[in-house]
Amino acid sequence: MKPLQLAAIAVLAATSLAVQAQGAGPTDPQIAAIVVTANQVDIDAGKLAEARSHNKDVREFGKMMVTDHTGVNKAAVALVTKLHVKPEDNPTAESLKKGGEENIAHLKTLKGHAFDTAYIDHEVTYHEAVIDAIDKTLIPSAQNAELKALLVKVRPAFVAHLDRAKELQAKLGKM
Amino acid sequence: MHAVDMRRRRFAAAAAATIAAIAGATGARRSLAAPKDYTVVIDGFAFKPAELSVARGDTVVWRNDDPVPHTATAKGVFDSGSIAAGASWKYVAKKPGRYPYVCTFHPIMKGTLVVR
Repeated sequence: MKPLQLAAIAVLAATSLAVQAQGAGPTDPQIAAIVVTANQVDIDAGKLAEARSHNKDVREFGKMMVTDHTGVNKAAVALVTKLHVKPEDNPTAESLKKGGEENIAHLKTLKGHAFDTAYIDHEVTYHEAVIDAIDKTLIPSAQNAELKALLVKVRPAFVAHLDRAKELQAKLGKM
Repeated sequence: MHAVDMRRRRFAAAAAATIAAIAGATGARRSLAAPKDYTVVIDGFAFKPAELSVARGDTVVWRNDDPVPHTATAKGVFDSGSIAAGASWKYVAKKPGRYPYVCTFHPIMKGTLVVR
């Protein structure tokens, strides 16, 4: 596994471990920041894939990431605004943001098939890590019932994306 | 038998035959039942209910309660195209059959429409 992918998993795994160690999870404002950041990271990578990939499937996947994660963020922001929950920056959100920036920088050094495989490999790892964080940390820690319900509602989006990313990973592997 | 009786018999037979023909033409559905409206809610990347049985002429509305666009697509039978978050798409069931369908954006999402 590539270093950046390890870093991405490490960030989200560390969140879960930290939660278990402290016995307390992120607060609702911190969850809000984590969710918004997690979506934005994938929107940025998706835009790069749309612009840079020469593979139609990969470009369409990137486009779906932009559409879906923008939609989820819109719903998340609308809810936390309604609840008067102000997203609070935190180490987990910062790490996600940094990891996302590093991924983009790395992808920009690649082209063609190498770009496609690196992008999709990262998408697989990233979505797996986010689903794990949703299940182990975000949903169990959420205090507000509506915030918890939103996390439950959007979890299948990440599952659907992971499903398609794995399909593309296999397809690209055969090329 | 009188001529009048013969005419009445022929008339009654013709009327009965016409009613039978109309009833036969409308198929299994009771010929005088009004078409029904049904709603399939798209929520949490799932079609709810996953399987829906309707009669020919009934209307099915897919309502997207998710924050992302979806489709309801049964290739060659019906295709909603992109249904935006919060939007709906209406379909009038025509041909009887069992139609599996998917969201073309997220094919992991599956449903079945049965038209009786």
